[in-house]
Amino acid sequence: MSLEPRVLDPPEQATLAALAEHLIPAAHGMPSAGVVIDERRLRFVLGARPDLLEALRAGMRPDLPADPAARLIVLERDEPETLSKLLLVIVGAYYTDRLVRDQLGYPGQQAITIQSWKYPQYLEEGLIDQVLARGPIWRDPTTGRTAIEDRPRTLTTDTHEIGRPR
Amino acid sequence: MATEPADVLIIGAGASGGVVARRLSEAGFRVVCLEQGDWHDKSEYRGPELDWELTMRKQWSTSPNVRGLPQDYPIDETDAEISPLMYSAVGGSMLIFAGAWPRMLPSDFRVRSLDGIADDWPIDYHELRPYYERTDREFGVSGMGGDPAYPVGGEDPPLPPLPIGAGGLKVARAHARLGWHWWPEPNSILSVPYDGRRPCVQRGTCQQGCNEGAKASTDLTHWPKAIAAGARLVTGARVRRLETDATGLVTGATWLDREGQEHFEPAKVVVLAANAIGTPRLLLLSASPAHRDGLANSSGLVGRRLMMHPFANVGGLFDENLESWQGQFGCSIESFEFYETDERRGFVRGAKWGLAPTFGPINAALPSRAGTQVWGADHHLHVRSHLGRGANWGIFGEDLPDEGNQVTLSGTLTDGSGIPAPEVHYKVSENSRRLLDFHIEKASESLLEAGARTVEVDRLMRYSGWHLLGTARMGDDPKTSVLDRWNRAHDVPNLYVVDGSCFVTSAGVNPTSSIVALALRAADHMVETRFDQQVPV
Repeated sequence: MSLEPRVLDPPEQATLAALAEHLIPAAHGMPSAGVVIDERRLRFVLGARPDLLEALRAGMRPDLPADPAARLIVLERDEPETLSKLLLVIVGAYYTDRLVRDQLGYPGQQAITIQSWKYPQYLEEGLIDQVLARGPIWRDPTTGRTAIEDRPRTLTTDTHEIGRPR
Repeated sequence: MATEPADVLIIGAGASGGVVARRLSEAGFRVVCLEQGDWHDKSEYRGPELDWELTMRKQWSTSPNVRGLPQDYPIDETDAEISPLMYSAVGGSMLIFAGAWPRMLPSDFRVRSLDGIADDWPIDYHELRPYYERTDREFGVSGMGGDPAYPVGGEDPPLPPLPIGAGGLKVARAHARLGWHWWPEPNSILSVPYDGRRPCVQRGTCQQGCNEGAKASTDLTHWPKAIAAGARLVTGARVRRLETDATGLVTGATWLDREGQEHFEPAKVVVLAANAIGTPRLLLLSASPAHRDGLANSSGLVGRRLMMHPFANVGGLFDENLESWQGQFGCSIESFEFYETDERRGFVRGAKWGLAPTFGPINAALPSRAGTQVWGADHHLHVRSHLGRGANWGIFGEDLPDEGNQVTLSGTLTDGSGIPAPEVHYKVSENSRRLLDFHIEKASESLLEAGARTVEVDRLMRYSGWHLLGTARMGDDPKTSVLDRWNRAHDVPNLYVVDGSCFVTSAGVNPTSSIVALALRAADHMVETRFDQQVPV
């Protein structure tokens, strides 16, 4: 059992859960943020962004309306900076949850090996050839008009060499 | 501290500072560099971690005002419509830049002659092309030669192009149908192993630091070589002012270490590479009875003509999952279809478009760049419709120089060392607004043709001042320019400025490839004229 003090006291935690539930309820196969955002998720967000703690506490103040919708309206009107940070805490805590990400089909930013030896699809489809066929589009400063070149453009990159540093 | 003056003292260890340090130290110059930031290790970057989208909004924000790190200086931007972005470290803002690497076009150097506005550069595209080719090799640029947006000839990018992704392919096909230009974007990001560095893994987190070292930055590509050749790099060194002697030559820099201890670094030649906010700040801070309006400022143009490329984002949302959270960031493809002036459009000059990936679920869930936010049960539908289903055209409009857009010194705001902070005054011109409106319309047409079911637009992004240019322009006439054609101050023959401050006009492309090509050209000139260089006695 952790001896660290909780980020929020029980009334604040209940306020946050209601707010999170209001913003991101269970629907369309996704869980409620009110359920997902527990002490562990909050600690994760605040570990990465300790500067958000003040806004989180400010957004849970008991002098603000108890109703989540009314609370959000007051924050948006009077303390937009606090609201912006509070939204980041809630969204950050929810979307860094493993289950939520799995259900979204988002695996995180992955390392993918580039297959630079493969002939690109756009070359296969002749999409570069079409650009080349239109000729130059740069403006020649000596004439002020689109440049005229005396022979047709061809792809100068030797595509057989793709994948090998020159 | 140093008693023997350095042959060359460089202020700033970013893109241009790294290029000049390597060239000069390998040519046998005794080089010292003062950098206010520090080294970063690749393992510090948060891209692979769960907190990536949280820390990108604070610790790894591109805005020094948001980060508020000790090595940052604050910027008073209350009178600016766009926030300047930068990073203080060895490698500089390259640590957080996207890596897109297009060159300027021939017409960019002749705006006055062609369009009757702004000014011509004292050099042209063909003069700069050999330096583009050399810096492409130094940094490791991936791309495809033969682009008809540029003149024929010269070397291709040294590495094959990066993948264009599912979104890039859709848009390329759409442009084929529309008969519009597109091309795989050149990026200073490795597509294959090169120079001891690993290739890109398409993680899509380039703007928060590259964990692979695939994205070029001078802490990887230049500083190790410069140091091996004898350069001395001092980190945590915040320069307070440049000093001059009775003859008007610069003698070195006074700087503060992390503990606030003051030092003086003497030098025969000083090179400013502190970006187009930091460089004019330092020149203005170096005012003295002999230079009441700041150093090298007889033209009155130091700090003026700030250009930052007003930026619009046009995002197409598709029905299918494109996994658009992955891919170089960087761009996949670019278009120059509407780059050159067509006066029938009601504005001059144009913009390059670059197609970029999107972010992860936190970004999809929060209010979008276009201001859309959905809460309640439909929030889940909103996130599913955005996450991985986007393709974003980023539009950099050419920003024309205006002397009213400028950097001055704040009378109230200071950095952590008590040095006056820069104050940025910047308004978006009517030409830029018309230009963006036109390009937004055309980019929307591109994405709808590609199959997007809807398009979301951020017409003018506030946090888009990545490209800092023009505050110490080059030119042949000392009355109308700060630097000569070799980046040397007209007023101070042993002072050079090699960052984006030297730009005469901004072009409509990402500028880093041009900044480093110009810096290498200036360094070559220093080497060639080393025996004629005036130095303090």
